[in-house]
Amino acid sequence: MLVVVSNTTVEFCHHACLVLSDGLSYSKLHGGGVTTVYKTKRRYLTIFICLLPSLVFLGIFTYYPIVDALHLSLYKSNAFTPQPIFQWFDNYVRFFGNPIFWEVVTNNVIFAVGTIFPTMLLALFFAILVNEVKLKSPFRLALFYPLLVPYAAAAMVWVFMYDPSLGPINKLLGIFGIHSIGWLGDQRYSLLAIMLMTVWKNVGYYMLIYLAGLQNVPAELYDAARTDGANWFLKHLHVTLPLLGPSTLFVFVVSIIQSFKVFTQIYLMTEGGPGYSSNVLIYYTYEYAFKFWQLGRASALTSIMILILLFLVLIVFGVFGRRITYQAG
Amino acid sequence: MKRVLLFVMLALLVMSGLVFGENLQRYEDVEGTVNLKFYYVVGVAGALATVIDGMVDEFNRSHAKIEVEPVYCGNYNDTMTKVQTAVLSGNPPDVFVVEISELYTLLGIDGIIPLDKYIEMDGGVEFTGQYFSALYDNARADGQIWGQPFQRSTPILYWNKDLFAKHAKELESQGLDPTRAPRTWFELEKYAEILTEREGSKTNVWGCILPGGWNDWIFESFVYQNGGMLISADAETSGFGSLEVLQALTFWHKLTNELKVSPPLRPWNQTPLDFAGGHAAMMYYSTGGLPLIRAQANFDFAVAFQPMQIQYGVPVGGGDFHISKDIPPENQDAAWEFIKFMTSPEMAAQWSRESGYICINKLGLDLPEMKSYLEEYPNASLAAQQLTYSYSKIMAPNFQEIRKLFVVNLDAMMQGLQSPQETQERLHVGVQLILDEY
Repeated sequence: MLVVVSNTTVEFCHHACLVLSDGLSYSKLHGGGVTTVYKTKRRYLTIFICLLPSLVFLGIFTYYPIVDALHLSLYKSNAFTPQPIFQWFDNYVRFFGNPIFWEVVTNNVIFAVGTIFPTMLLALFFAILVNEVKLKSPFRLALFYPLLVPYAAAAMVWVFMYDPSLGPINKLLGIFGIHSIGWLGDQRYSLLAIMLMTVWKNVGYYMLIYLAGLQNVPAELYDAARTDGANWFLKHLHVTLPLLGPSTLFVFVVSIIQSFKVFTQIYLMTEGGPGYSSNVLIYYTYEYAFKFWQLGRASALTSIMILILLFLVLIVFGVFGRRITYQAG
Repeated sequence: MKRVLLFVMLALLVMSGLVFGENLQRYEDVEGTVNLKFYYVVGVAGALATVIDGMVDEFNRSHAKIEVEPVYCGNYNDTMTKVQTAVLSGNPPDVFVVEISELYTLLGIDGIIPLDKYIEMDGGVEFTGQYFSALYDNARADGQIWGQPFQRSTPILYWNKDLFAKHAKELESQGLDPTRAPRTWFELEKYAEILTEREGSKTNVWGCILPGGWNDWIFESFVYQNGGMLISADAETSGFGSLEVLQALTFWHKLTNELKVSPPLRPWNQTPLDFAGGHAAMMYYSTGGLPLIRAQANFDFAVAFQPMQIQYGVPVGGGDFHISKDIPPENQDAAWEFIKFMTSPEMAAQWSRESGYICINKLGLDLPEMKSYLEEYPNASLAAQQLTYSYSKIMAPNFQEIRKLFVVNLDAMMQGLQSPQETQERLHVGVQLILDEY
């Protein structure tokens, strides 16, 4: 259930983003006090009624579990204490004093930074390329197909790719004289290996979003840029990039969320190991919840994750949300 | 508004029907047959799931009133996770096999019933007398028996006779006999050094693989062989701080990091494949690896007792049957019938032949097909002989947490990331912390 909680946490943030960004564009489109108070009230009522069903589901499957997790995180609750014992912030204190917890948090930060930026850059780059080449569909398909492969299947393929002796990656490296890197079995490489696989898996999806964004860039602007003598790089830097602002915001927020949701590939490829070298918050939570059945501890971890994500998402919207150009011109 | 209300209520009705439908079905069936859900585990490399399914089929054919549905749950960790989740969420399997060290956790979550009343009904000591008594040690707590031995093993030393013969001259020049396995730690080290074949920085043949994954279990043997123990019998005190443990850690560190005769970390299921492929002259592995090696190795191999330091010693290993607590009594009775069938002389013997596990039922050893099998493969009886020197495996509440700490620290030491002293310190402090919590 706790993983569900963590996942719904993420969904919650996702919703918060959407609602916030809707709110932004809504106030932009409808701001200015043109409508009468009556009409505004009525419109809000309509919106409220339309949103009500999802609010109910969010309440049951997201907000209630969040509050419950926060509550449970203050208790000692595990398989051997059938009646949870209230103990204030003991669960948190134990984690903050535990070097393993900090290792896991560090891993998660490395994972987030190391996947978000390469993924976004690559996705943008591929989107522009695919948009400009003649034969679009084969390229789109090639870049998009990793997304269609289920995570579990992709993980197994990459386990083989990373195999120290049989895997194609090490065979390729062998040509350059680099031998026997135990990708998944070596503390130094396991997290990197998972990150590479994740970037490969996600690039296609973000590329598609960027590609959709590119379709909305008016061709006149490119013509104008060309007239001004901008080369390919400058053209995209000054025209494409600013106009892709909304797509970038979306991609950024979703990939932050994704980087805290990373579970399947870690569960299947390394189980967080060797040691804790590829363990991240959500897998760590899973271990406490379902392997050790330490529900209080796991709830504390979940709550920490909720706070981190809320904090990050608020920052992103606070800093970037205001500077986005929504319309050309 | 009324319509909406009606709609919502109808929807709820339909949904509750979906949810409870399954349960209703279950109780209806009790009149005719009892349906049992059986969670089982495969803990070694190889295709043992099909063997279990076959045995369950045979049970279902011979018992008209009971229908067992086998559910393969993955390795020992996965299976325990599933059982724990199922029990605590109120939907337990009726009968299941998990790793023997989990007993205290199963008692902690109040998930199982004692089997004494069934054992009493079936003859008491006469019934348990069929089985190797050492196998019940991990099933006992609070003066009662909570599990019935099933897939039980001891870790043994496998050795490649052909590779020993290949290096006969070198071995003999060191005063070592190439026709037998090492008998002491000292010999093990010497044999392994000679048998390791290197080509530059690449190792083609490892002298002796200490496998990862269950290195905690294999390591426990070394502690017994050195006269130590890991956790006190009452599961209250950590024994990791002792000199015996430090010496065993140092020996492992020497084999993996100084002499480099064992790879630093080989996955559990990969190790038998390495051995069968001729990439290792010796390996420590569960007796459950025998069928795979027999099928795949194209060389002559044998198995031996684990070498001793001051004494022979191994922990028993594997999994036992347990019956869930929160299920109808008729299901519990049916589960006992199933367990009795699976551990009967015939089934135990068949299971042992196909899985390599110990033939837990001594009567099974007297069956003609088992006798001829053991004549053909004398290797298969070694694990049971080793029981003479066996100890019960460490048990503690929340064993999963201890095992995680244990494996992570052993891994780090084998990879050369921490010294034996640091490893001991971390284990001793960490294990005591976990034990103190309960």
